[in-house]
Amino acid sequence: MPIVTVASPKGGAGKSTASIILATELAHAGAEVTILDCDPNRSISIWADRGTLPPRINVRSDVGESEIVKTLKQQDADGRVVIVDLEGVASRLVSRAISQADLVLTPMRATTLDATIGVRALALIEEEEEALGRAIRHAVVFTMTRAIKSKQHTAIEKSLRGQGVDIITPPLMERAAFSALFEFGGDLRTMPVQGKMEPAAENASAFAQAVYNRLVGKGL
Amino acid sequence: MSDKPTFSIDLDSLKTRRKDTTPESQGRVDAAGEQHGFVNREPNRKRGRQPSPRVGQVHAKVMPNVADEIADEAKRRGVQQGVIIEEAWVLYKNR
Ligand SMILES: Nc1ncnc2c1ncn2[C@@H]1O[C@H](COP(=O)(O)OP(=O)(O)OP(=O)(O)O)[C@@H](O)[C@H]1O
Ligand SMILES: [Mg+2]
Repeated sequence: MPIVTVASPKGGAGKSTASIILATELAHAGAEVTILDCDPNRSISIWADRGTLPPRINVRSDVGESEIVKTLKQQDADGRVVIVDLEGVASRLVSRAISQADLVLTPMRATTLDATIGVRALALIEEEEEALGRAIRHAVVFTMTRAIKSKQHTAIEKSLRGQGVDIITPPLMERAAFSALFEFGGDLRTMPVQGKMEPAAENASAFAQAVYNRLVGKGL
Repeated sequence: MSDKPTFSIDLDSLKTRRKDTTPESQGRVDAAGEQHGFVNREPNRKRGRQPSPRVGQVHAKVMPNVADEIADEAKRRGVQQGVIIEEAWVLYKNR
């Protein structure tokens, strides 16, 4: 069971949105997916209650720092993926969820502030790798990006790459369909048309595929 | 929009990998977190007895024998004296 921990101490970076897109795309492609809602604000649970959960997805909520390691161990099974959505804070729960991850995904808006705060997650991962004596694969995904890359985006991307950070392509573009996930629940296929659906669906799928490739150890 | 998956997943390749969950390693993880400001942020769970919802008051002077009897009955049943008064009130309303 690959565990994907979605973590950034920056609030509103797009963690829950990325979690839902990843979960629904992987489930659509045939994987069993469990999302652990570890955010006391319960974004994922709100999404789950809004509409019908797509096939092969289940959600567990209210997982706190004393349960996280045990819960992840219980969810252990081949052929499924567990996605951990966390609150946008620097907490011990985040640090514990990272320790059990096969892949840590750090969503980041392409702004200096988001990058500065998001990088704290990367520093923590490095420290945990040392504490555990194993490599923890991690990648940044830019979120809410525009068709035309801002100068800031280009500069941040260059700086991260320069530090050897794995950056997922494509980024998650700013799309009405993505923000509407919380309004309608379900996935991109079940919601009423929001803006341009085709490019949103392509973006979601290509993003999920890029994450999947990392989970099965295929090329960067 | 097509309903067909745009990529296929090889379920066999989604393998479980062993993670270190020993208390020692978790201790090291917590320490690493603390060093980077990732600290315990959970509200402390309330310990002990929850506060009573009985916050209303009546001001009742009664004859000493009635006071004694209510006190004895409450003690016998292990409830607050207010519970006896609440029950008496229900009987009174339904009389
Ligand atoms: N790619 C996107 N396109 C459009 N809107 C987006 C996108 N990603 C996120 N949003 C919107 O931005 C807001 C914050 O996103 P989200 O809740 O996913 O962030 P978060 O990192 O989970 O926040 P928190 O730290 O509070 O948990 C939401 O209103 C969401 O709908
Ligand atoms: Mg969230």
